[in-house]
Amino acid sequence: METTDSPITSLTPSDQNVLSENDIDSISELEDLLPPSKMESSNESKAIDTSSDNLNPKDVHVESQQDDAVVFDGSEKLVNASKDNGPEDTGEIVVTMLGRGKLDEQGVCANRIPSPLSETSLEASSHWDEDVTAESWRQHRKHVFVLSEAGKPIYSRYGSEEALSSTMGVMMALVSFIQSGDNVIRSVYSDEHTVVFMQQGPLVLVSVSSTHQSEQQLRNELIYVYNQIVCMLTQASITRIFEHKKNYDLRRLLTGSEKILDGLLNLVDFDPSFFLSAVHCLPVASSFRDSLSQILQKAITPNLVFSILVAKNQLLTIAQEKMVIEDAKLDPADLHLLINLIGASSAFQAGEIWTPICLPSFNPDCYFYAYISYLDPPECTVCLLLLSTDNEAFYAVAECKRKIEEAMLAQNALTYIAKAQSYSVSQVGVSDLRHFMYKPFDVPDNHHQLTQFTSPEMEAPYDSDEEKMRLLDLYRDMHGRIHNTSRPLKLIYHVAARETLLAWVTSKFELYTCFSPLVTKSCAINAITKLLRWVKKEEDRLFIRYPPKYSTTSNASKS
Amino acid sequence: MYLIKGMPIRLLQGRTNELQTHLNADDQSKNGFWNTGKTFGPREGEEEKKILFYHPCEVEKNEKIRNVGLCEAIVQFTRTFCPTKPAKSLHTQKNRQFFHEPEESFWMVMVVRNPMIEKPNKDGKPPTIEYQEDEILDSVYGAVLQQCYSMYKLFNGTFIRTFEAGGVELLIQKLEKFFYRYIQTLHLQSCDLLDVFGGLSFFPLDKMTYLKIQSFVNRVEESLSLVKYTAFLYNDQLIWSGLEQDDMRILYKYLTTSLFPRHTEPELAGRDSPLRPEVTGNLLHYGRFLTGPANLKDPETKFRFPKIFVNTEDSYEELHLIVYKAMSAAVCFMINASVELTREFCEQLDALVGPQLTLLASDICEQYNINKRISGPEKEPQFKFIYFNHMNLAEKSTIHMRKTASVSLTSVHPDLIKILGDINSDFARVDADEEIIVKAMTDYWVVGKKSDQRELYVILNQKNANLIEVNDEVKRLCAAVQ
Repeated sequence: METTDSPITSLTPSDQNVLSENDIDSISELEDLLPPSKMESSNESKAIDTSSDNLNPKDVHVESQQDDAVVFDGSEKLVNASKDNGPEDTGEIVVTMLGRGKLDEQGVCANRIPSPLSETSLEASSHWDEDVTAESWRQHRKHVFVLSEAGKPIYSRYGSEEALSSTMGVMMALVSFIQSGDNVIRSVYSDEHTVVFMQQGPLVLVSVSSTHQSEQQLRNELIYVYNQIVCMLTQASITRIFEHKKNYDLRRLLTGSEKILDGLLNLVDFDPSFFLSAVHCLPVASSFRDSLSQILQKAITPNLVFSILVAKNQLLTIAQEKMVIEDAKLDPADLHLLINLIGASSAFQAGEIWTPICLPSFNPDCYFYAYISYLDPPECTVCLLLLSTDNEAFYAVAECKRKIEEAMLAQNALTYIAKAQSYSVSQVGVSDLRHFMYKPFDVPDNHHQLTQFTSPEMEAPYDSDEEKMRLLDLYRDMHGRIHNTSRPLKLIYHVAARETLLAWVTSKFELYTCFSPLVTKSCAINAITKLLRWVKKEEDRLFIRYPPKYSTTSNASKS
Repeated sequence: MYLIKGMPIRLLQGRTNELQTHLNADDQSKNGFWNTGKTFGPREGEEEKKILFYHPCEVEKNEKIRNVGLCEAIVQFTRTFCPTKPAKSLHTQKNRQFFHEPEESFWMVMVVRNPMIEKPNKDGKPPTIEYQEDEILDSVYGAVLQQCYSMYKLFNGTFIRTFEAGGVELLIQKLEKFFYRYIQTLHLQSCDLLDVFGGLSFFPLDKMTYLKIQSFVNRVEESLSLVKYTAFLYNDQLIWSGLEQDDMRILYKYLTTSLFPRHTEPELAGRDSPLRPEVTGNLLHYGRFLTGPANLKDPETKFRFPKIFVNTEDSYEELHLIVYKAMSAAVCFMINASVELTREFCEQLDALVGPQLTLLASDICEQYNINKRISGPEKEPQFKFIYFNHMNLAEKSTIHMRKTASVSLTSVHPDLIKILGDINSDFARVDADEEIIVKAMTDYWVVGKKSDQRELYVILNQKNANLIEVNDEVKRLCAAVQ
């Protein structure tokens, strides 16, 4: 495979021979790269609130006393069992390190229990040994590749990175060749595929898709992938790592997280929240949602910033620290990443998890500490997420969870939640209307709100996976066209063979509807009028209208 | 408007003489790009030999090699994911590149720059250049590149035939001769949906007149047995053609955008103007040759006609192209190229066709005026439209003003025409009948309808209309068009 004969030789920088490269990086080398944790923590408190010192979670002395206690295992995962519990009790309390950047922050690591996320490397191996020269590999709907600037593979959705290292080498060569001409590669189109290239810092992400999505949509999906990696490592440490060693093999730090990226890409394909950039709320009576919010508002501890209740992968309620809301709002994209993270590993179903997590849209360079626990084992559909800025707050936050659990039990909330479900489009009472997605902009307090959308269950004829995907592809198509980067539209009415679709964007809402193919235009317009009326009537049930807030700063100052 | 300064067109050949027989498309796709060159292509340092044509030619050799290498790399890279459907376009911040493999292993590449906006900076800093990356439609420029090949092939035949006949030297020579002129006539700024269709505009005619024309064609073919194919046009619109559709569509393109515009001036100049070529004693008719002899009476006149290649897929015919015109009526006679055309033949043709065609032209003109009167005075309609029929390649546009040699003027905002192009790309993906109505940010309504191989695109002028009114309007139009 020598390349000297071809004019393309110049494409391949000499240090890019990804195949023969021998990794000599040692963990200890990396260790030097990673920043002391307090640096990140202070960044983070700055991001949250510069005006209030009370939120600063860091006490420097805590750090220094733990420095020598750091132990890590070969898989670069650090697992902390609680001091009192042996490995057998990990079901009770497992403290997990997701990112390597946090190694030295956690003290007292004794047992090398595989992290809840490293199990995934075994489970996910099914498509790892896929033959990358086979037709079946080529047939995949959408490939996603992540590589470093040195052309080193970091992630491939299908097939092992090793088998694909030459393909990824070519990708990197194309990127850098065009860069050398003072230009930027964007995409390549063939009859079958759209290939989108995106560079984010020292990482290059490539999507090879046969879905006919718009380039902008594919780009947004790659940003989700990048942000999911940032969510685990932070942007600052990724940058630092590659500044120090250009051909570092980032997979070392991401071992076990392939499944998180796999899960993300599956969600991206099947969940419209991602391309709508909005959060899907589970519809419940507003009084019930309010009572849940109150429970969250009451169970607080210093440095707690977000309390989130998720059920069936949809948002139930979210309470936020006041100062945080004033500073910046939680981006739907960050919430999607969190929900994906929880869903990606069954390990979270065991007991309580304490892990550093970065919210990339909030601040890509700092960590939050997430407490994750399911409230309804063994079904594991209702999940509580508590985000703190203090890495020492595990016990305090766990105590909040206990309070929340108690209060919910008293109200029999779990039974209500179990009964709550998405609604049927038939409830709208408009014949010919098969499905819709409605994203309002006229919510109260819009500026600080999470963007939300509502949508009924997909029912017949969209009840099989293929049909669901087909409808989603139609929606994506409408979405891509109406938000065309250079020629946006206000309305699209599309009569296709198997359905009629209408997409409509106004200053107050964004609406996508799907009708039976024989609907007339006047019927469709009447249907939409009725639908808008129905949504207005139901909005308290469908959306979080007034997101609850709390203040932990006063508590913090007391402590 | 586009800012296109210089548009490199490159033509390259992937294989070399000695290996031609061993190599087929499959071999190439299986072997990774990286070793194609070494095993099959020219040896190292001879990459330049792959390049058959490069415009602008003054580009430095290494730059040419780099750019051609990039094209190969992109094409080969996409074959990783689908061996049979390689890349068609590459989008970068500054430009778009279009790839076309018209004949096996021959690649044509066209690079079109993205339009730029210069944003002035304060403090005397140089202005920031912003590229508008979504202004160019792939479907349009992909079609333009294919058209380049079709036009070349019409006058030169296929690459491979030339290559077999005279080797790479002859091919290079032909390419340079053709494209040097042709590239200057490409007006990329004004390319749009009509280039995607590459359709024919048909002249609307009543049955009687149509029969008259047909009988005229039959009579001439009868009397001049050398004539193999005939095509009849009036007012730059097609009435009758004996050629295959694909050959006719490119010939039509040549006639209407190149040959006819070059010959309009003398006619406009009036009978007594010195510009008008002397009709030398023959005042019985207005017929004259647009190709071949300019003046039959001139003893120095050469009787050479341009040659065209048709049916290149099967019978591969080389023909003389005689274009003869009287007033607004033009006839193309195509005669096997192996026959040598003489002065006698041309005089015979002129004597036979001239008077008849003159008569026919005035007949058609009269009929046309009657029809126009019946349909009433033209008022500004509430809509503009483009219609295209894939079956007979018929196209009609009220969006485009009359095409001239240089630019095709349109009467609506370019963004609206691009929306038409977007809708067309959506239609192209699905076989089924579809209808798309969109409301643009400027509140214009744009409608696209595809049914049974026909496509209709309408831009409505009523900004305040609602969806139902738009629908009614389009229904009325459809009834009128069909």
